[in-house]
Amino acid sequence: MPLLIGILLLLVLVPVIIYNNLIRKKNAVDNAFFSMDVMLKKRYDLVPQLVDTVKGYMQHERTLLESLTLLRQQVAEKHAVNDSVKLDNQLQNLLAQVQVTAENYPDLKASENFLRLQGAINETEEQLAASRRYYNAAVNDYHNAIQSFPSSLVAGLAGMGRKDYFSTAEETKAVPSVSFKS
Amino acid sequence: MEASKDFRAFYEKELQPLLVPLETERRKIKKLALTGILFLLGSFPLFFINGVVQNPVIIVLAFIFVLTGMIFLVKFSNRQKKYRLLFKESIVRKVIGFTEPGLEYFPGRAIEEADYKKSGLFLTDPDRYKGDDYVQGMHGKTFFCFSELHTEQQVSNGKQTSWVTIFKGLFFIADFNKNFSGRTYVWSEKNPQLNFLSRFFSSFARKLEVVKLESPEFEKRFIVYSNDQVEARYILTPSFMERAVKLQQMMGEGVCLSFIDTNIYVAVPIKDGLFEPALFASNDFSRLEEFRITLGIVYDIMDELRLNDRLWGKE
Repeated sequence: MPLLIGILLLLVLVPVIIYNNLIRKKNAVDNAFFSMDVMLKKRYDLVPQLVDTVKGYMQHERTLLESLTLLRQQVAEKHAVNDSVKLDNQLQNLLAQVQVTAENYPDLKASENFLRLQGAINETEEQLAASRRYYNAAVNDYHNAIQSFPSSLVAGLAGMGRKDYFSTAEETKAVPSVSFKS
Repeated sequence: MEASKDFRAFYEKELQPLLVPLETERRKIKKLALTGILFLLGSFPLFFINGVVQNPVIIVLAFIFVLTGMIFLVKFSNRQKKYRLLFKESIVRKVIGFTEPGLEYFPGRAIEEADYKKSGLFLTDPDRYKGDDYVQGMHGKTFFCFSELHTEQQVSNGKQTSWVTIFKGLFFIADFNKNFSGRTYVWSEKNPQLNFLSRFFSSFARKLEVVKLESPEFEKRFIVYSNDQVEARYILTPSFMERAVKLQQMMGEGVCLSFIDTNIYVAVPIKDGLFEPALFASNDFSRLEEFRITLGIVYDIMDELRLNDRLWGKE
């Protein structure tokens, strides 16, 4: 009899423990996504500051600055992870492009405000890269859990599916570290 | 850092004249030690002879030998302390000043115990805390300081108490080039203090989580704990991980790092002292060149970890 109770307890407890573990991993993915979202918002806030700072100097780059502003508006709208990735990569590319183009404007390069902003952008890009890496690590951990036996059974019953990775395009992985020292 | 050729000229012009009286003193100190040891050794046959013939004159003579030996060794101990301090004040200070002008050197000072504890690199608090050869200065925009430290824990088995070394080596603190507010620890995978239980309890008590990173080479060598998963990755970028691996290859497996309150703490185990003069060998050019190499190690750490790169908005 005690053996039977033991087996029954095990049959109830094991799925509960597995389920709780899966929920923890799923929540970790959500938290990671949230922290990435905070960083994206931070970068999003930096765009108008950058445009305001550089537009006085970079008058021949109007198209570039307009596309940056337009893209910022698109980023603000709600998207699926895959679309967010594309927009995020484009925004990162454009920001890098503005910083590289600034090389041609010595007055801008010397501007205290621009240098401060550049530091803030670099910082945000690195924080964003860090939160992306955390998000992908959390997704990977979650995938391992939902695909391995026996937690795959519980995940299947609970309807837990795969999550999208947040992968950056290869060419935008490294943030260009442009030196503006004259 | 000044070139070795320039240092040779500096050594011949500035240091050699100062080394002459110090060398005379060192030889005297060496003689004191040797005489003391000879007297002590000389007492052994006397004790042995006394055991055979039981003569009170021999036993008195043996005790006189022991006493004389002890007196010589006490004298040796006092004079070598003064000699070491004098050597450091006159020679080491000049070597450091020549190699990296602007650095401040305090031979009798060490990294504060509070800073050592704040680093969180060692899981046990020390019962005995010693250190010397404190150096501080700026490397570009980076403030840094380091000293030699030797921390020990008292272990008792009921009958006997003994001292066990927690850390002995170079302890280095610098202002990190990024802003952060959490706590991140990078320990060597082979760190003896990180057995299964201490890993579990310390991470539980400190509210830390293991941070799994992408670099297989880094993961093979280090284990990372942090209270902020994102911040740990912000500090430990892929390129920083590569540099940490190189640092470990350069300094040995015991190297560990922590990142707290925008500071980086690095502990590098070293068997010998940092800027200690030799007592039983001559302190010649090659010896002083070793001090420059030690100083170079600290600069290598800062350059390897690129602490001077200020691209991230932190001045």
